[in-house]
Amino acid sequence: MAEQPVCSCGSSCGEGGPTEGIVQRLIFPCAGVANTGQLTNCAAIQLTEEGYGKAACIALLATGAEGIVRAAKDADEVLILDGCAARCAGKIADSLGICAEQSIVVTELGIEKKGSREYTDDDIETVVSAVWEGEGREE
Amino acid sequence: MTIEVLGTGCMKCKRLLKNVEKAVEETKTEAEIIKIEDINEIMDRGVMLTPGLIINGELIVSGRVADVKEISGYLLE
Repeated sequence: MAEQPVCSCGSSCGEGGPTEGIVQRLIFPCAGVANTGQLTNCAAIQLTEEGYGKAACIALLATGAEGIVRAAKDADEVLILDGCAARCAGKIADSLGICAEQSIVVTELGIEKKGSREYTDDDIETVVSAVWEGEGREE
Repeated sequence: MTIEVLGTGCMKCKRLLKNVEKAVEETKTEAEIIKIEDINEIMDRGVMLTPGLIINGELIVSGRVADVKEISGYLLE
């Protein structure tokens, strides 16, 4: 990652800073092995760095670990990032009674699922922008 | 309407600018968007934590990124 300019956001851009009055979000990427799944992971990390929420581990959630389930239920909002129509992350959340306020499927953003794990910076921007723009929310 | 986006160029500052541009486009707001990157100018406006958003001289957001929906709400007030 390119070196960040010095800034006055009170942190290394993403960690710390003011939290009062900010929506506390947990972000669960499916982290699947195809390009679209890998993309969800990268987008979740970037969204964390930009202050949208905090990336969390879908695999840990799938185990039903009490701490992460409670954290997801206590969060103001949960964002699910799924790579494809299989909606693995969404189904894991559903099975545990976790209601996602925002849910995005990467292939529905015009990014094709491929046999490779390659994706571009533009692909990441497409996903991250869609999240900030409020796509995948119930109207 | 004058919108000032204050930030020295980190990821959060860039994202806030993008979100502002999108909100202006979606709400069809007639606005001049000014990017202020100089730390002294930023602090002159009373902003200690970036990114900052000032609309018509009023500080709206400081120290976090506002999403497009939130910014659109401010523009339509």
